Amino acid sequence: MKARRAAGLTGAIALLAIAVVFGLLAGGVRLSPADLMRGVGPSGETARLVASLRAPRVALSALVGCCLAVAGAALQALLKNPLADPFLLGTSGGAATGAAIAAVAGLSPLVSPAAAFGGAVLSSVAVAALARRGGRLDLQRLLLAGLIANAFFSAVLLAVFSVASGQTARTMLFWMMGSLADATASKVLALAPYVAAGFAVLLAFAGRLNLFAVGEENAAALGVDVERSKRIVFLASSLLTGAAVAFAGIIGFVGLLVPHAVRAAVGNDQRTLFPVSAIAGAALLVAADAVSRAAFAPAELPVGAVTAAIGAPVFAWLLLRNP
Amino acid sequence: MTALLEARGVSAAYGATPALDGVDAVFGRGELVAILGENGSGKSTFLKVIARIVPARAGDVFLEGRPLDGFPRRATARRIAYLPQSTDLVFPIRCLDLVLQGRAPHARGFSADSAEDRDRAVAAMRACDVEALAERDASALSGGETRRVFLARALAQEAEIWLLDEPTSGLDPRHRLEFLELVARVRADRETTVLLVTHEIDLAGEIADRVVLLRRGRALAEGSPEETLTPDRLREAFGVESRIVTDDRGRRRIVPFAPSR
Repeated sequence: MKARRAAGLTGAIALLAIAVVFGLLAGGVRLSPADLMRGVGPSGETARLVASLRAPRVALSALVGCCLAVAGAALQALLKNPLADPFLLGTSGGAATGAAIAAVAGLSPLVSPAAAFGGAVLSSVAVAALARRGGRLDLQRLLLAGLIANAFFSAVLLAVFSVASGQTARTMLFWMMGSLADATASKVLALAPYVAAGFAVLLAFAGRLNLFAVGEENAAALGVDVERSKRIVFLASSLLTGAAVAFAGIIGFVGLLVPHAVRAAVGNDQRTLFPVSAIAGAALLVAADAVSRAAFAPAELPVGAVTAAIGAPVFAWLLLRNP
Repeated sequence: MTALLEARGVSAAYGATPALDGVDAVFGRGELVAILGENGSGKSTFLKVIARIVPARAGDVFLEGRPLDGFPRRATARRIAYLPQSTDLVFPIRCLDLVLQGRAPHARGFSADSAEDRDRAVAAMRACDVEALAERDASALSGGETRRVFLARALAQEAEIWLLDEPTSGLDPRHRLEFLELVARVRADRETTVLLVTHEIDLAGEIADRVVLLRRGRALAEGSPEETLTPDRLREAFGVESRIVTDDRGRRRIVPFAPSR
């Protein structure tokens, strides 16, 4: 296990490094690696661009990608379901709705992570309740319940959007489409503790989640307090999802794609899967955001469109492979 | 003398559907007890209550006189191993990792990874003749191999009580006999207590020290195979007629047949 973990971490870090360089260079003003080397001085125009705009954006992308990937990995193990993902299960939609309602109600932006977390928790509780059949979570019902939740939250978001005005409407659009454009260093610092807390909890539960990945009864028979563990893992992944959505809006498919790719590479030991997914998720979102800036520069694509363009075909492939 | 394991008035239900209705049963150390009953009689649920998978609605299971709820879950998991009837593995998992899960209740954070854990897991696999499967994906095994791997896990768990849920169902005669021989062999030097759920009446009569006969969530009879597996009891429990015959080796055999014949 240790060799696999080391190889996985090394590979993911290499990907992240490449993505970070690409993320710092790509955009409306295209930089070359040489510019970057030269420009890192106290007075350079490049340095200002990089320090005030691109570096925070890359850092925020990395943290958000990390949140979504780890939340997805944890939900997949907990629900013994390779199709679980905070976006598909409606958790992201609930988080966005919570944050949007708080914004429309005129609450301070500081509470938006809390509101998003609340929305994420409510949504996962509702989806889990809908998907329960005969005391267990049914795989098909879970996906259907996620679909229903997503439809409902889109409806609420659209309704709020159509009555909102000016700045609020712009903020709503940000949550609905997902964007990393408003990144600042202070946002990065505000998000970091949520990422650290959620990740630490899930890593502490990685051993238990390995037992869940074989089945809930399996975990119970091996001495895991199943209900308590489920609650904690749901809350921690809702926290990660809520924090990601509060700072970047709804970005789909990262939580689905990354754990799958990483599982194929390093196996399904959650103690390895979580840290490697965290770094690979960061790499994916940094790269996707860079593509969103570079593809039609100076216009920007919504980053969710980029992740969906990669994610939808992969999801289709997974559905075909898991009858 | 207190029994190793004792069920007193155990009831359980799935939602509004009752599954167990006040079951009493006693299990002594080193016994092999067959839990027999027709489909839906509650026998699997009974094992799941003992394994603490399904909570008891009423009554209690006692381990050496103490209610199971009085122990931390992890503590009972070190002493009681549960072998599921079937496992639907969604994610790939190496057989060695599956057997290592037996060490989880002994490890911090349920995260068994030490050299000692690994040694015990490999030794258990060797004892169950599945060492060669260590690197194979457990979802790609045959029914007989899967049962052996799970038995190896119970060994690695070092549990003194094994709960086997229909371990021979779906196995062809050779693999069925091989599995039963394996169970007899690996428990011989450990004084393991085995609770074996089955609906094979003849198997119960052949290998069990005692039998608990369940019907509709209640214990209909408990005692030696000779006492419990009588035509009258079997008619009551399974709705079948049966003949008790002696085979050419002088063993008592039970041959059930449909009531209309």
